[in-house]
Amino acid sequence: MSSEPATVIPWKPSARIQRLYEDHSRATPSIGAERALHYTEFYKRLASPDASPLLLNAQSLAHHLDHRSIRIHDDELIVGSHTEHRVGAICHVEKAGSAMLEDVFHFETREVNPLAVAKGVKWKLLREVAPYWLGRSLPMRAFSLRKKVEYAAEQLTAAHFVINEVAGVAHFLPDYGGLVELGTNGLREKVEARLAAGELPEDGRDFLAACLLCIDAVERFSDRYRDEARRIGRDDIAEVLEWVPRNPPRSLREALQLIWFFQLIIQIESIDQGISLGRMDQYLYPIYLEQKRRGEVDDDEARELFAAFCIKLSEVIPMFSARATEYFAGLPSGQALTIGGIDEAGRCASNELTGLLLDVMEGFKTRQPNWHARISKASVPDYLRRVVSVVAGGGGSPALYNDDVIMPAMVERHVAKEKVWNYATVGCVEPALSRESFTSSDAAIFNLAIALEWLFAGEKRMAQGKTCRRPWLSDLTSMDQLIDRLEAQTRGRLLHMKGSLDAIEQSGAKYFPTPLSSLTIGGCIENATDSTRGGAWYNASGIQAVGIADLANSLAVVDELVFERELCSLEEIANACAANFEGEDLLLARARKIAAFGNDDARVDALANRVALLFDRCVSSLTNTRGGEYMPGFYSMTCHQGFGRKMAAMPSGRLAGAPLADGLAPVDGSDLLGPTASLNSVARLDHTRFANGINLNIKFDAATVEGAEGRAALEALVRGYFAQGGMQVQINVLDPDVLEEAMRDPDSHRNLLVRISGYCAYFVDLTPAMQRELIDRTRQRAR
Amino acid sequence: MTVSAPVFDIQRFTLHDGPGIRTLVFLKGCALHCPWCQNPESQDHRPVIAFYRERCVERFDCRGVCPEDAIRSEGFRVDQGKCTVCGLCVEACASGALRLVGEAHTPEELMEKVRADLPYYESSGGGVTFTGGEPTLHPHFLGRVIEMCAAESIHTNLETAGVFSLEKWAEILEKLDLIYFDLKIMDAEQHERELGASFDTIQKNATALVELGLPVEFRMPVIPDYTDTQDNIERVAAFLRKLGQTGIHLLAYHNMGEAKIDIISGAQPRLGRARLSDERLAEVRDEFRRRGIEILNP
Repeated sequence: MSSEPATVIPWKPSARIQRLYEDHSRATPSIGAERALHYTEFYKRLASPDASPLLLNAQSLAHHLDHRSIRIHDDELIVGSHTEHRVGAICHVEKAGSAMLEDVFHFETREVNPLAVAKGVKWKLLREVAPYWLGRSLPMRAFSLRKKVEYAAEQLTAAHFVINEVAGVAHFLPDYGGLVELGTNGLREKVEARLAAGELPEDGRDFLAACLLCIDAVERFSDRYRDEARRIGRDDIAEVLEWVPRNPPRSLREALQLIWFFQLIIQIESIDQGISLGRMDQYLYPIYLEQKRRGEVDDDEARELFAAFCIKLSEVIPMFSARATEYFAGLPSGQALTIGGIDEAGRCASNELTGLLLDVMEGFKTRQPNWHARISKASVPDYLRRVVSVVAGGGGSPALYNDDVIMPAMVERHVAKEKVWNYATVGCVEPALSRESFTSSDAAIFNLAIALEWLFAGEKRMAQGKTCRRPWLSDLTSMDQLIDRLEAQTRGRLLHMKGSLDAIEQSGAKYFPTPLSSLTIGGCIENATDSTRGGAWYNASGIQAVGIADLANSLAVVDELVFERELCSLEEIANACAANFEGEDLLLARARKIAAFGNDDARVDALANRVALLFDRCVSSLTNTRGGEYMPGFYSMTCHQGFGRKMAAMPSGRLAGAPLADGLAPVDGSDLLGPTASLNSVARLDHTRFANGINLNIKFDAATVEGAEGRAALEALVRGYFAQGGMQVQINVLDPDVLEEAMRDPDSHRNLLVRISGYCAYFVDLTPAMQRELIDRTRQRAR
Repeated sequence: MTVSAPVFDIQRFTLHDGPGIRTLVFLKGCALHCPWCQNPESQDHRPVIAFYRERCVERFDCRGVCPEDAIRSEGFRVDQGKCTVCGLCVEACASGALRLVGEAHTPEELMEKVRADLPYYESSGGGVTFTGGEPTLHPHFLGRVIEMCAAESIHTNLETAGVFSLEKWAEILEKLDLIYFDLKIMDAEQHERELGASFDTIQKNATALVELGLPVEFRMPVIPDYTDTQDNIERVAAFLRKLGQTGIHLLAYHNMGEAKIDIISGAQPRLGRARLSDERLAEVRDEFRRRGIEILNP
């Protein structure tokens, strides 16, 4: 393999940035109630009853920004906070925020992700805020009373799907590349020119007027920070704010300040989910080069600024109730930042900024952003090697994206071939076209695996423990028939969900458009139409399927035991699932002996591909309310646990309540032949159809990937997987805690590969003493 | 004529038996019986039924299908005196407690499994490594497999203890990309006594391989009090120097092979030693370096 570059000492931030980070870490995550209070106050007392919702949304945002408490913290380089607290969660009352208030008395005391709520605020939220929005919030306006009850019941139990759009669409790529070229002055000119050009669609005038209100509000908000900076003697900040947001930034610092203001205000206006930063190493590069030419910036200063920016991104915390946390644990806000990839001519696009961002990623680990690195056949070896060495350092960043699969997949979804080189990622894993797309990429997450339970139980949830006749299964005598039946049923369940999605989208578009967000999306100004109403040039939506591996494994078991060897009937298997395999030891043992997805087994891998494509057909036949197409994605956040908890046993031998497989990965502990076999199975699926992205998590212990040899192997694994058509992979390098967990629960960690002196072995195969020793060794290394 | 050979394991994504990402093919049968053997199930060339006691759910489906009445209720499940290794019990065993060790593979069957990781061989400069047991016990089978690998440009490595007939093997060896040749005990008398085979052939083969200019690299397992004595290290180093070799791979002893003796109800002795310490390994590495021999593995 290639020669090893000289050992690089990871970059460490200055004492100032470390202090800044420590102060940030000490801040208690708190509920920021001001937005809820300001919005409620505005709608109750100040809103003109017959004003257009476009104007009302701009005015309510402006009202909040004009009155929000602001503070500049010691050592800050970039200013502006998500809430009145340093680290805070917003209650977007007019959307799903009021539903999250179900937890208002538990936020502080709950075990997972507690949030502080200031005294008096709780009652204020309950007395003044919640009652007002009871009948006026987005979900409540979306449905008739009868549908409301049904919808609420479905979201509360959430076995079949979770509709994320109810919280607002969000999940898009603001055009920050365009923003740094224009500043707010340029944006204003663009809007005014459009107004002057006339030929406006219905509501076009209101939309553009709302845009202008938003631009003014952003500038006033910035001016308040400028004045505060002067007051406390931070002239450096005040000087930055004299220039931006109005003018196109001349320096990285100005650019990052401008972007942060938009990033934070878009998250206030829309919601704090999946607002993504795009290809920062590309669109900031001209500014960096120019600044460098003038001799005004050194690389260390640039890294400091990026680090300060990452701290800002980490201040954003979602306000999830305990119920929502089950599906989306770990405080995700999904601010993706993309690096690398190719340029317009198809050449490797990595540049000095890419390297600086990788240094920050490696030396300064923060909760946000979601770091994503684009890899292409054209990527230069140095770039790939550097990316892999950062991955090998642990922390799961960056996740890797394969240009050579993603770009053709997007072209198949009607993204212009000459533009697709400029895609970036949104939220968790979703590819989208930079500058001009409004992709509701995380519209909903759908439980595909429950299809079998639904079929077994006769179009309802399985009654636990109930052995009964299931005559509707008796006419299924081949795998083809079974899969056809599952497809028809899945289509039906999706259509049912889409009814709710449409109602929510229409309600959002009608009552809660997002003019500020729309300003940053190509097409909205030109079409004088809000992004929620289809103003963007590209309008796709994404629905994610969960449980591919579980469903494929189950079908493989049915195929072998029922159709091939005729050892039992489908009804017997269904009853065994209902009984959670109690008294069915033989069937359970037989099921678990059959090769699972992730073992390079042609039969079960083909079944996995069939169910994935089945979902693709069902989803891709749908169109959203903005005229965009639906695309399938295969990632699960933590919904695989949320869904799994509500499900009966499956023929694969997965017991009732157990989690489903994570994203597109094999069932935990079921891939027994090592990472190459597992990656081969995953790559056997047709990723070019999965245009809304996939997530594949794979795990290694630190010793396997350490040293030049380990990193070379890791790089080769990625290249081998990508060469076979793999779309994405996220590599986790394990800490000793995971090994401890594997000792306690070996069955869930059967695939955990560890490196012993000189070779790799499955951790669970080692003696307890050896396991202990390995854990101790890993701990020593971590110190 | 279809030749086949018993393969007792195939490990993918191995990183330490040659360059890059490799598939390790373990062939059953061995000419030596080293008391520290890490794969005791490899020594006998015949297939055998292994029994994983902790997986057994004691349903005795095995008994129902066994034509030889070789299933026992207590102790090791299979009466090896009666068992003909027909494999019916393994098929019947739903829990996977019974497994066939050493399933016969034809060259084509093996190649299909080897090819599965071609993309990773290509991206890493890896390939396939034949080990055992003593893989050279299967010249017809392996000759065919190595030929097929060469035709498909798959990098090949053979790990051998050096007990083979050069006449039979010369032609095959030429097609290999790499040969790992193990040296253990250099004292002829002790070699024969402890390992059950003459050192003479090994010494001659090692010399011949080097003289033929084949891509051979030497390895030595570091076994406390067996191979790591001053005298043995000195003799290994001297032998290497005589052959004009400048490097060696050192393999640290571990005792995980012993657990596998129970699984096949084997009669092998147990060395009963602890894993070689990192400190001792470092010392042995230094011993070689002092004698002008560099260490080839990290």
